[in-house]
Amino acid sequence: MALIEIKDLTKVYKSGRSTIRAVDGINLVVEKGDFLVVIGPSGSGKSTLLQLLGCLDKPTSGEIKIDDKEVNRFSDARLAELRQNKLGFIFQSFNLIPTLTARQNVEAAIAKRGKGDKNKALEVLEKVGLAERADHLPSLLSGGEQQRVATARALINDPEIILADEPTGNLDSRTGKEILDILKNLNREKKQTVIIVTHSEYAREFANKVVEMRDGKLQTEKI
Amino acid sequence: MFYLAYLKAELLRRWGKTTIIALGLAIASAIIITIISTSQGLSDSQEQVLNPLENVGTDIMVSRSVDTEKMGDLDEATRAELASENRVTTDLSKLGKAGESFSLDTFLAGTMLTFASSDTKKLTSDLAKEYATGLILNVTHQEGKIPEITAEFQTGPESFQIPDVAPLTDAERAAVDAARQKAIADLQAKGIDPNSEEGRQAVREAEQAVMPERFKNRTFTAPSRTFRQTLETPQTDIKTENFTIAGVDTSKTDIGLILPSQITEGSYFNSQDQVVVNLSYAQKKGLKVGDTLTFNSKKLTIVGIVDPKLYTNTADVYVPIADLQTIASKAGRINIILIKAPNADAVEDTSNKIAGLFTGAKVINSNDTAAQVTGSLISAASLMNRFIGLTSIIVILAAFIIVSLITVFSVNKRTQEIGTLKGIGWKNPSISRQIFLENLVIGIFGAILGVGLGVAAILLLNQANIVFTANVASSNAGAGFIPFMRRFAEATASASTANLKLNVTFNYLVLSLGAAVAIVGSVVAGALAAFKVSRMKPQEALRQL
Repeated sequence: MALIEIKDLTKVYKSGRSTIRAVDGINLVVEKGDFLVVIGPSGSGKSTLLQLLGCLDKPTSGEIKIDDKEVNRFSDARLAELRQNKLGFIFQSFNLIPTLTARQNVEAAIAKRGKGDKNKALEVLEKVGLAERADHLPSLLSGGEQQRVATARALINDPEIILADEPTGNLDSRTGKEILDILKNLNREKKQTVIIVTHSEYAREFANKVVEMRDGKLQTEKI
Repeated sequence: MFYLAYLKAELLRRWGKTTIIALGLAIASAIIITIISTSQGLSDSQEQVLNPLENVGTDIMVSRSVDTEKMGDLDEATRAELASENRVTTDLSKLGKAGESFSLDTFLAGTMLTFASSDTKKLTSDLAKEYATGLILNVTHQEGKIPEITAEFQTGPESFQIPDVAPLTDAERAAVDAARQKAIADLQAKGIDPNSEEGRQAVREAEQAVMPERFKNRTFTAPSRTFRQTLETPQTDIKTENFTIAGVDTSKTDIGLILPSQITEGSYFNSQDQVVVNLSYAQKKGLKVGDTLTFNSKKLTIVGIVDPKLYTNTADVYVPIADLQTIASKAGRINIILIKAPNADAVEDTSNKIAGLFTGAKVINSNDTAAQVTGSLISAASLMNRFIGLTSIIVILAAFIIVSLITVFSVNKRTQEIGTLKGIGWKNPSISRQIFLENLVIGIFGAILGVGLGVAAILLLNQANIVFTANVASSNAGAGFIPFMRRFAEATASASTANLKLNVTFNYLVLSLGAAVAIVGSVVAGALAAFKVSRMKPQEALRQL
């Protein structure tokens, strides 16, 4: 049984009179332990695909099965639970909460019913090599450091699936590679599934599976 | 607790926003507190003036006050009494040799006729729980040098007295009434106030014109010598001064013309030869505790300054009633009784019964006095009452709208943050609670600050010494109603003016209301924002980068 199974997934945006088929009838299977890189230029629909996978958005048609469950039919609350327990997100622009310190940002991801866990947050920050900057506000961290905090935040709940939207997009290639290294290690050690959408060619090196996306459609490249 | 750490971080690190919202709420709250408290202060002051009787423990007031407007309707006996109560010595020569200094105080009842203090025996315990007597007189004080002219006349002291004449027949009275009505109508047609000096003169002339012959010169029937003398009084340095004096029933401490509790400086009567002075008179004349006043060579020491609240019957100076009866040669006479009804709910009823016992007397109860008050206090209070509701609603609405806008705006600014929270698995209720808590805390800060500002505003208002006036028609029109007496009466005020300092007090209910405005405003805005958050889809929140 595949971890993620996508069938005929389509997302249509309407803007004014024109309709944009951001995701256009995609079929894709992701196995547990895959390191999938979706590569493609801006506007190819790869971010939309990732948002659909992360249950942040609902498809126009088609289905997404995670663990053989069709997530499109989940309620908002159940989706939130799924995101908290199974999924870890890394955003292109880091999306750290500006008023919280690095540690608090990480802690926020496990803050259930208001209770956090400082020590666990520190552990994860240590894993991404940022323990000594735990009490800094995001504004005092460099781009790479911020993305490492965001990565730590995505990892703290030990998600089965890590979804990263252009994780290296705002970073220079050296820092970008550092982030990908962290993800690759997790993928190797803990068999966590990593799905990255990016336009950085160097991401290919880390993947065991690469798909190219163009105009909402997929071309499988490397399996 | 992570959400508390988040809350603290959010409020402290966005302190600018926190401060602005809290300040906005505080100002709204302070305005509400100030407006309502001020209005209450005005109402309290109004209450004091409108219920002057209550201020002196009185429900019912009995006097024989004559209405100057209806002087023509008086019966013969009353008219004679009025004349004798206001008898003035015109021949100053009796006081000493010409050129010698003299000081003369004449005590006149004015329009408040006296009656025997033994009349109070009629007040049985079912009519009066307690009562106090009083004697309020007009004093004409003259001092200077005895004029030379008195030597020319060999006549003894002539008293001026209005002679007895046959009363008006019904037909004659009707003619006088008709002439008065016509004169008043004519005046109003010309736009002249019939109550003005000019108007009253015209009405008087019109009345005089139709009076029967026997009335025409009723004020001038004294020997012509006396008449000439009055008109030709030589210009000497005689100074005339008018003021009012009241005899106070000192046997009572919680009912009376003045009460010990109304003394603002010095003390109440506690020994012989003492006088208490009205605060406004003391200020006008520069009198202080310890000064002496002399009435017909009797020296009295000022022991206290009083701020009387019985505005319809204030006097300039107060002495124990027995002393006044002696000084004014009115032994056993009083002209006012203040009564506390046995049952507060049956004042009107008791008042009617008392009116039946004292024939010809004027019986006034607290309901009657309110209508006589005019002045800036009344206008301010009624203005305040009219606008308080509207103003409060506008302020609350404005505060609410501003706070809601700021909150919603700040939620919009945090769209990405909220999207991120949703992305990392936060459920709507958690995010909403976070936003709601932030607003609640800001609201509480706003409330505390608002109450502080409101209290400061109230203190400032009290510091500012805002004084309102209330004009109260006096029961005693003074002696000015007699043509002859007008010569002396130039300074007699017919209405008393009560100056009331605006005193705004703290009321915990109002402070709580102000605080509630801030908290509720913020919480409602927070609820709105929380609702908005729950409607946001995570991808929408994330897209707005």
